[in-house]
Amino acid sequence: MSELGTLSLLFALVLAVYSGVGSALGARKGLLELTTSARYATYLIPLPLGIAVLALVGAFVSRDFQIEYVAKNSSLAMAKGYAWVAFYAGNEGSILFLTVVLSIVAAIAIALAPRLSRASLAYTTAVLMSVLAFFLFILVLLANPFETSAVAPADGRGMNPLLTHPGMFIHPPMLMTGLITVTVPFAFAMGALLAGRTGDDWVDTGRTWALISWGILGTGLLLGGWWAYTILGWGGFWAWDPVENAGLMPWLVLTAFIHSIMVQKRRGMFRVWNIALINVAFTSALLGMFINRGGPTPSVHSFAQSILGWVFLAFMAVTALFSFGLMVHRMPALKNSQSLESKLSRETAFLVNNVLFLAMAFVIIWGQLFPILSDMVTGVSITVGEPFYNRVNGPLLLAVIFLMGIGPMVPWRHASLAQLRKALLLPIIVALGLDVTLLALGVTKVFPLMAFGLCAMVGTGILREWTRGTRARHRKGESYPLAFGKLVAANRPRYGGYVVHLAVVMMALAIIGTYFFDTQRDVVLQPGEQVTVGGYQITYIDAQQIQHPDHLQSVATIVVERDGKSLGTYSPWQDFYPSFSLRPARAAIRSTPIEDLYIIPNDFFQDGSVGFRILINPLVMWMWIAGPVLVLGTVIALWPQRKRALIREAIPQVLRPTYAPAVE
Amino acid sequence: MLHLRPVPIRARGLLLILFAVSLVAYSCAADTPTPEERAQSLDRLLMCPVCPAETIDQSQADLAVQMRSLVREKLQSGESEEEILDFFVDRYGKSVLSQPPSTGFNLVVWVVPPIALVGGLALVWLAARQLGQKRQPHSQKETPEGRPDLEPYLKQIDEEFLAFERARNGPERGGEPGLQGGKG
Repeated sequence: MSELGTLSLLFALVLAVYSGVGSALGARKGLLELTTSARYATYLIPLPLGIAVLALVGAFVSRDFQIEYVAKNSSLAMAKGYAWVAFYAGNEGSILFLTVVLSIVAAIAIALAPRLSRASLAYTTAVLMSVLAFFLFILVLLANPFETSAVAPADGRGMNPLLTHPGMFIHPPMLMTGLITVTVPFAFAMGALLAGRTGDDWVDTGRTWALISWGILGTGLLLGGWWAYTILGWGGFWAWDPVENAGLMPWLVLTAFIHSIMVQKRRGMFRVWNIALINVAFTSALLGMFINRGGPTPSVHSFAQSILGWVFLAFMAVTALFSFGLMVHRMPALKNSQSLESKLSRETAFLVNNVLFLAMAFVIIWGQLFPILSDMVTGVSITVGEPFYNRVNGPLLLAVIFLMGIGPMVPWRHASLAQLRKALLLPIIVALGLDVTLLALGVTKVFPLMAFGLCAMVGTGILREWTRGTRARHRKGESYPLAFGKLVAANRPRYGGYVVHLAVVMMALAIIGTYFFDTQRDVVLQPGEQVTVGGYQITYIDAQQIQHPDHLQSVATIVVERDGKSLGTYSPWQDFYPSFSLRPARAAIRSTPIEDLYIIPNDFFQDGSVGFRILINPLVMWMWIAGPVLVLGTVIALWPQRKRALIREAIPQVLRPTYAPAVE
Repeated sequence: MLHLRPVPIRARGLLLILFAVSLVAYSCAADTPTPEERAQSLDRLLMCPVCPAETIDQSQADLAVQMRSLVREKLQSGESEEEILDFFVDRYGKSVLSQPPSTGFNLVVWVVPPIALVGGLALVWLAARQLGQKRQPHSQKETPEGRPDLEPYLKQIDEEFLAFERARNGPERGGEPGLQGGKG
């Protein structure tokens, strides 16, 4: 197994180097045969890498503890189904996973590349293959998952028990896939610059792949929150820890990019800026991948402890230098084809959006790095934890929601105040109406009132757009459903964006609800004892202990009632894994759209009493509803729009005389 | 509820602003937290010294449990929030605080993000001004050397290029998939 795996990796490395060098050389010298052959080589690479994956998963299934990685990340007690999770539970495996995914998306992206970017495709291929070759180098030289030990241990150390959750089958792969896919839009931007095609040829492909990456990464983050909420058993879904931050940072930068790329798509502006944004997105994704690799508790401090860390840092530095250097080199040719007509316009709204999202991303990297800085300057170590991120990024989130309410109402080119007033009057009235209702209901906190009001403003604005557009079409004789469908289909980026905005509103509701209105009680209950929290009567019945091969499980049985009506019996439990000294708890969760009742059994005492933490988390369900909505919106925004007006748009683009000799 | 029709437009805006301000003012005058709420917000400001990256609110380690009950004791005996935090800083060092104190060098961590935000917005303002200025001669600058007289020839070259590319790549794909008509 291990020889097969190593050989496949070597084979893939040779192919990647050949394809990268061949593409670059062929493009430079105009050798059509060479670039074509190099392109075919990229289609081949997923094959050996697929074999390597099979070899590793096979080694986990067959318990081949001779392979060090298998011994470190699995044991005889592990269910065989978790071989797939164990595969990326450590450094080496997750780098292999990233590599495989990159080889596949690279092949797809190159095969599907539209005709207009064909001229720069060879350079794009070269960039993709360089990144791939870097990962393969690391796999072969520094982090080979197929490394064997002289003597095979009888049993492995076992997988981290926190990873034995169904969410682990999909959350880390989504996160890693999202992060590595950022390479594709980056490569198209770089390819265009290298080929001297400084126009807007790369924009559509770049936007499509950035959206794909953004959607996958966002879903991965949400699944991570869901996993934390349901298994980590502390009652929240986001803790601003380094692993989460590492995924969120590139997502925020990508969010900025997918907005500002629309300005280039529509108006041929912000050409330099978009390249800079995709460069930053790629660099931060590299950082994210590095922090994310292996296990749930790495941190920035462990970053530099291995050679791998330094190699990765060096690669990040080289990529950043290369990409920004290239951008500066091409700057004279990257002129805007149109000028900004007014400061009150969609274009400027997008710029402000970019500032806000970059600021949030900056806050995250700043919070991660500041402890190191402070330690160097003052010699006293400090912590930058949740309260910092909440206090700094909270107001920024509020600003984003505010902008989300206004930005889409501002027309392209230039807007007048009268237009804005007309568009915003109804949303503002609804927002204030909601606030008055909330005040009457006894909600008196300022920040949530502002946030709820702004959410209402965004929601009303979107619904107003939808009803107005649908009605206009209905007047021309279409039935309402058809009119709505056609409205969305006619401008998918816009209406897909609205759907995503609704998802963001839902997430904001969940964040505000849990942050400002949660109730928390710690109680110790004897069997049969009852406690009332937030209108729920919770009765603890009894506890049982179950001995598993690798852990001890303590299960509490509780009955929940409200207003005399039974809401059911729940069995939350707590596990104890001696070999990891970990006590993961599985809470009892009763979800409604209004609030979640969340009961964690924390302490099982000798006398049969149990210490519970009881939480009431308002509105948290909207966080999970937002997930599918976000995906739906992304798919709508992505859906290719072909038929209409293609030639009309194509000709001016091609005629823009930045035409370098075609490669193929 | 609000009869907005007869009110002139400008007064409407004023009315809305007044309304919003009074809402905020009203909501400010509210809310004293219960002792348990005060204790919980303190819990969230204190890191558990023996656990990686958890506050004493989240952690179930013995030390965290002890610290939680200590917080409650001290609150009950009338100590202020600052006194309690100081007590734990004396014992475990500054890193016991889950957010950096806003004094001395650590002020930097709080000050830099707002400065960065304001700087970013200022840059946008400047960029918008600059982008707005070069307006008139733009369509001509588009040609390579700024020579409009070459335009017809360049156009011809590009058209022939396009025709050539079409002839070669055209049949393999219907339409131009890369160009999504971003209309509307």
